[in-house]
Amino acid sequence: MGIVKYIELLRKNPQTMKRVFIAWIIFVLLFDIVQSRAEAHFIIDKIYIFWSIFGALGCFLLIKAAKGLAHLILGKDEGYYG
Amino acid sequence: MDSWLHPALVYFLGSLLLPFFQGKARQVLALMIPLFSIFLVANMPEGVYGQVQFLGLELTFGRVDKLSLVFAWVFVIMALLGTIYGLHVKESGHVLAGNFYVGSSLGALFAGDYLTLFLFWEIMAFSSVFLIWYRRTPAAIDAGFRYLLVHVFGGLCLFTGILLIYFKTGNLEFTALLPTQAGLAEYLILAGFALNAAVLPLHAWLPDAYPEATVEGAVLLCAFTTKTAVYVLARGFSGFEILAVMGVAMTIFGVIYAVIENDMRRVLAYHIISQVGYMVAGIGIGTHLAVNGAAAHAFAHILYKALLFMGAGAVLYMTGTAKLSQLGGLWRYMPLTMLGYVVGAVSISGFPLFSGFVSKSMIVAAAHQEGRLYLMALMQLAAIGTFLSVGLKVTYFAFFGKESAIVAKEPPKNMLWAMGLTGALCFILGVYPDPLYALLPFAVEYRPYTLHHLSEAFQLLTMTGLVFYLLVKKLAPEVKINLDVDYFYRQGAKYFVRLDEGVIAPADSRWGDVWKAVGLRLLFWKAALAVKFDQEAIDGIVDGTAATAMRISAGVRKLQTGQIQTYIGLSLMIFFLVLWFLVV
Repeated sequence: MGIVKYIELLRKNPQTMKRVFIAWIIFVLLFDIVQSRAEAHFIIDKIYIFWSIFGALGCFLLIKAAKGLAHLILGKDEGYYG
Repeated sequence: MDSWLHPALVYFLGSLLLPFFQGKARQVLALMIPLFSIFLVANMPEGVYGQVQFLGLELTFGRVDKLSLVFAWVFVIMALLGTIYGLHVKESGHVLAGNFYVGSSLGALFAGDYLTLFLFWEIMAFSSVFLIWYRRTPAAIDAGFRYLLVHVFGGLCLFTGILLIYFKTGNLEFTALLPTQAGLAEYLILAGFALNAAVLPLHAWLPDAYPEATVEGAVLLCAFTTKTAVYVLARGFSGFEILAVMGVAMTIFGVIYAVIENDMRRVLAYHIISQVGYMVAGIGIGTHLAVNGAAAHAFAHILYKALLFMGAGAVLYMTGTAKLSQLGGLWRYMPLTMLGYVVGAVSISGFPLFSGFVSKSMIVAAAHQEGRLYLMALMQLAAIGTFLSVGLKVTYFAFFGKESAIVAKEPPKNMLWAMGLTGALCFILGVYPDPLYALLPFAVEYRPYTLHHLSEAFQLLTMTGLVFYLLVKKLAPEVKINLDVDYFYRQGAKYFVRLDEGVIAPADSRWGDVWKAVGLRLLFWKAALAVKFDQEAIDGIVDGTAATAMRISAGVRKLQTGQIQTYIGLSLMIFFLVLWFLVV
């Protein structure tokens, strides 16, 4: 099966994957700086890499909030309702 | 056109024929039903059809316009894909329930008045519950009953609203309502619709029931109930501010639960709430772009969510579990299933070139255009949570992650075909959205592929990926369930039974004893007093007739011994007495 071989290859080279990912992050940040801001209407449209900061912070807070709620009140054993 | 044929009829009548066929013939017939309905929808001109007079009311079964057609298109396409996915199902009843469910949702789409809508609305609830019950596990049976009870409650809200509207206006036509004119009746109808759209806090039935449904049933369930509700909300309640706020709340609420849930299908079910939230918010914002976005997103969502449920269903079907804590390393055994799931996951996450990118962004852009920056920011936050939960978490922990002991195979071919076709549609819509945009209810120019929008998507998705990579250990699935508002009726029912057994029933029996000891005795005493007063005081004052009659009847009663010889003897005596009088 082609897909399986391809995934095996990727899993054998974690360093390469890491490098590709870092290169991609740099590309994304640069892309936002050079892209046209003709459509900018609001302040958030004008800040460089706004959505990167929003994405990273938002994702972090979302995980913290969700896991916090689960551990604090929401999470119960599977047989909770009997 | 007089020859308009309601597509719902094709499903109803076609599915009644199904039990008479076996094997290949039944599979062909099962496929013919959705294929024929696609043909009908493709050749359906706009207009009003199927008007019937009933009890002095005019019922409209076929209101065909752009809004109903765009939903009808995706419904019939989804019905075909769902049928392919479930081709291996042998139980006729299961297939029949699915067809009635699809047919009734089409009936609700084309309904032009509240009564027709209500009729199909209820058929939907009562046919879909069988897609849960056919799983035949105790958990599924219980969840099905809860699902049904909640939907009956929603149906009653809707019906009460409909009656109030009828008494107020004298007609039942289902048209757009204005937020400024909405009163109790309109809000009751809104509540009925909102319950089916899983709007907070009327949402708990969805993640309670869908993960318990059959593998094939869940693929249909995730498409029709909530999207029919989105359609009726778009038709009747566009521009209601409460929907904009509640919709955005749903987007966040759904992803928070999706991040912490352990069961793959429950993650997806919570995520439906999040995705339907975008549509509800679009309807609430109410501009042409926003309502178009809601319709486009419903279209795209039905396909990729079904694809995700197909992938998760295939895992459940082949491994016997959908719990992330028990899964892992499936990429080696089910690569095609994984590929299908990943296509669904990148579509829902809004990757460029996939369908979510061209539909979700319309609603976000509408919020941006209207200057609703808070709504927009929260929807973007939910988009992060989407990629995090459905995209990364489930894919990683089910198909990669730690190697589990589970060794599985790919699911049956029909399931793979259904996933392949659905995945292809998600990709085609993402690359070439023009046919979808042409179907939308309003003519609005919208271009998804701008540099600005691409950059926004790249940044959000990349950073989510980065944070996931850094915090992946924190996200490890836990063998837990999470409380939701169904707690109040599930635990509440238990407390009620306990209250009944511990307090109400003993109090009732104690009261019975007290009544017997005191109440009954008092009652007899009072009755005896009344009789005495009646006989001696009242009758004495009048003329004593009652007392005389009673004395005579007491005498006569003595003659009634119940022995036939006494009666014959008495009769003979009277006979001779009469004869003696006559002769002498």
